[in-house]
Amino acid sequence: MKSLTALIMLTLLITLSACTTTTVDEYRENSTALTLASGERVVVLGRRHYADYETEPDFIDCIGEKLKADKEILVLPEKEFVDLLYPWFEPRTAPLGLKRLAKMLDEPMIAQRFKEQGLHYMIWIDGSTETTDRDGSVSCAVGPGGGGCFGFATWEKTGTYEAIIWDLQTLKESGRVKVEARGSSYMVAIILPIPIVAQVQDQACDGIGLQLRTFFMGNRAGEAS
Amino acid sequence: MHTRNLIACALVLVSLLVSACATRVEVDGNFPAALTHKLPLRSVVVFDEAFASHRFESTQGPEVSVFVGQIQVELFTGLADSLFQYSSTSTKMPTNSEADLILVPNVEDVQISMPNESQLKVFEVWIKYNLQVFKPTGEPVADWIMTAYGKTPTRFLKSNTDALQQASMVAMRDAGAHFITGFARVPEIQQWLRHRSTSTSESSGSTPL
Repeated sequence: MKSLTALIMLTLLITLSACTTTTVDEYRENSTALTLASGERVVVLGRRHYADYETEPDFIDCIGEKLKADKEILVLPEKEFVDLLYPWFEPRTAPLGLKRLAKMLDEPMIAQRFKEQGLHYMIWIDGSTETTDRDGSVSCAVGPGGGGCFGFATWEKTGTYEAIIWDLQTLKESGRVKVEARGSSYMVAIILPIPIVAQVQDQACDGIGLQLRTFFMGNRAGEAS
Repeated sequence: MHTRNLIACALVLVSLLVSACATRVEVDGNFPAALTHKLPLRSVVVFDEAFASHRFESTQGPEVSVFVGQIQVELFTGLADSLFQYSSTSTKMPTNSEADLILVPNVEDVQISMPNESQLKVFEVWIKYNLQVFKPTGEPVADWIMTAYGKTPTRFLKSNTDALQQASMVAMRDAGAHFITGFARVPEIQQWLRHRSTSTSESSGSTPL
């Protein structure tokens, strides 16, 4: 009984320590909140042109969900936008800067498509979540009498992302949010492996999503009241 | 009899194990219509047997087989529809065609990189196309070497098959982007287009599209 209590205590201790720390930095062009007229939308896009990593599509979806959580901000899904503008927002062709976007919008056909979709802001997300450290090991074996695992492993994940907001009407940058989330995960194996996984990407999404909302919600909240 | 059954069972087991190690992908999906200005041209796209049934196979390391034939026929059919005023397809080189140009896409090379080979956490697919452009008389206009690249990151519990399917689709979309944005910029094609517009405006009998 005592050993069972000790085991539960140990598991709880490890669970508590498998947390994530998140640091959020932001930069605003000015203190006024970003406005969205009725029917205007925001699109969140991931950078995919680097050779060794790409911003995860599920991370982009997660930020979209955070932005439209209270239905105040309308978000055009990334996939839908990229298909509507094909082939101008593929990794090969997507504009890396505002000058290139401005040139792209000189093409009436592209500008018209933006207008039809009611797009006012474009948010680019660049970054990824990587495993930065790994230690320990877990071994498993199976024999005629049964099987099991034994060992202890730990790994650390770091998610670093930057969001850049482009105003599509003024063709100027409206602000930036940078987030870094770190978390250690554990795997304890005493016959059965018990993984205790830190939700690094989810935490980074929470951090960046909630911060991005503050860029828009100031004025929206003001209008509502 | 008993030994025979045992051998049969062992063979089935071995073949199951061997097939479990192989990655076989039949790439499928859809492509959106391209947002582009149509060129005032009539085109015929020729998909020969080798192109329409192209399968990349690698036996170095774990066996990998990727069938891209059907999907690339769908891709180029859609691209030609988007880029040219009129377009049709054929399985043979047309003779006495009324088209302004004939396109014959060929696959020159396909390369695949898996995370266990590259040590990167991405699956990568490269496709090198040779897009041959001919006048209706069969006279060559251009040999355009067009490369396409696609990658997808590794994911926990995502199979190699799913990852290669996704990377191949990204590569196909990239090929489409290259085709749409680059076709009129290929020097030989550019020259042919310029020459054609001059000659059509000079000749009074012709009816340019």
